[in-house]
Amino acid sequence: MDPAEVEFLAEKEMVKIIPNFSLDKIYLIGGDLGPFNPGLPVEVPVWLALNLKQRQKCRIVPPEWMDTDKLEDIREQERKLDTFTPIPSLYYMELTKLLLNHAADNIPKADEIRTLVKDIWDTRVAKLRLSADSFISQQEAHAQLDNLTLMEINTTRSFLLDSLNYMYKLRSNLQPGRSQDY
Amino acid sequence: MADASELSGGEESQEELMTPAELIAKLEEAWLNEKFSPELLENKSELVECVMEQITHMEENLQRVKKGDVKASVHRMEIDRIRFVLSSYLRSRLQKIEKFFPHVLEKEKSRADGDPSFLSPEEFAFAKEYLANTEVYLRNVALKHMPPNLQSIDMLKAVPEPCLDSFVFLRVKERQENILVEPETDEQREYVVDLDEGSQHLMRYRTIAPLVASGAVQLI
Repeated sequence: MDPAEVEFLAEKEMVKIIPNFSLDKIYLIGGDLGPFNPGLPVEVPVWLALNLKQRQKCRIVPPEWMDTDKLEDIREQERKLDTFTPIPSLYYMELTKLLLNHAADNIPKADEIRTLVKDIWDTRVAKLRLSADSFISQQEAHAQLDNLTLMEINTTRSFLLDSLNYMYKLRSNLQPGRSQDY
Repeated sequence: MADASELSGGEESQEELMTPAELIAKLEEAWLNEKFSPELLENKSELVECVMEQITHMEENLQRVKKGDVKASVHRMEIDRIRFVLSSYLRSRLQKIEKFFPHVLEKEKSRADGDPSFLSPEEFAFAKEYLANTEVYLRNVALKHMPPNLQSIDMLKAVPEPCLDSFVFLRVKERQENILVEPETDEQREYVVDLDEGSQHLMRYRTIAPLVASGAVQLI
């Protein structure tokens, strides 16, 4: 999967904005939005929030978890535990990137948040590599991967799955009696 | 005619009513499943038709709106997003048909009467044409220059089958018990796992293929 497609999915997440215009309810195919009143917070999908922001029609309210104290706690947890800790948003990486790139002026301590999220990401991806390594060396057939986000899976997907498939082919060719793929 | 509210949830016995929002969610599920499964899944032409209808309907309404309307631009953005999912879904099906065409057609041939078809009528026509064109091409560039006893080719053997033993990532939507995990090597034993709702797993596609078809798990 292309990372842009994961980002596309992340753009469906809802985020609060404070509009500076007024507009009636919009009846989208995917659900109703609004009404929009200046100064009153309203929930919209990220794709719309970013578009409105780019046209300077709203201020984006960062999600609750996008906060240095909370993220520091998560970073500590993530470093302490060997397993993947539950993350406040399944799209934390994508949302951080999208919101910080397009609405950094609405997010307090944007640079600190960027660093914290990057730290969390690095720790998690390192764990993912370690577990992929032991998955392969122990020739496991099943693994449970709770709390992993789509973007994290995506970083290793093609490499891990292709290697597993090749190893399977090599092994099944070694064992007589098993049918081959070609 | 298909309408969003008439779409049944797979089984004919129980007619499920779906809101347009649920329709879009279903399309996204089908999109991801199709993207990640090694084989071609059952076609969802009813779903595709309903979504197309929603989009056409919305576009007709937008025709009547004057230019520069803020609401219309939001609607257009949404339509573009849905269209992207829809074409990506159909494209990934076509890619699989091109990759596995003899096997796809074989499966279609051996399907019992009354079973749902894996291909939509358009996809079926495409697969047949693709097969015919490939055969003509191979004959023209190579086979006709071969000795007569080597001039035939069995497409089923020439084109690799989808590898159902591929590993896939999945998220569980309905709890499943006693899923058999086959051993990787001869020294290991097989064992069973329970799949809890909401949990995520990495395992072979073959074991869980029926669960993908029934919608109990979502490939991710």
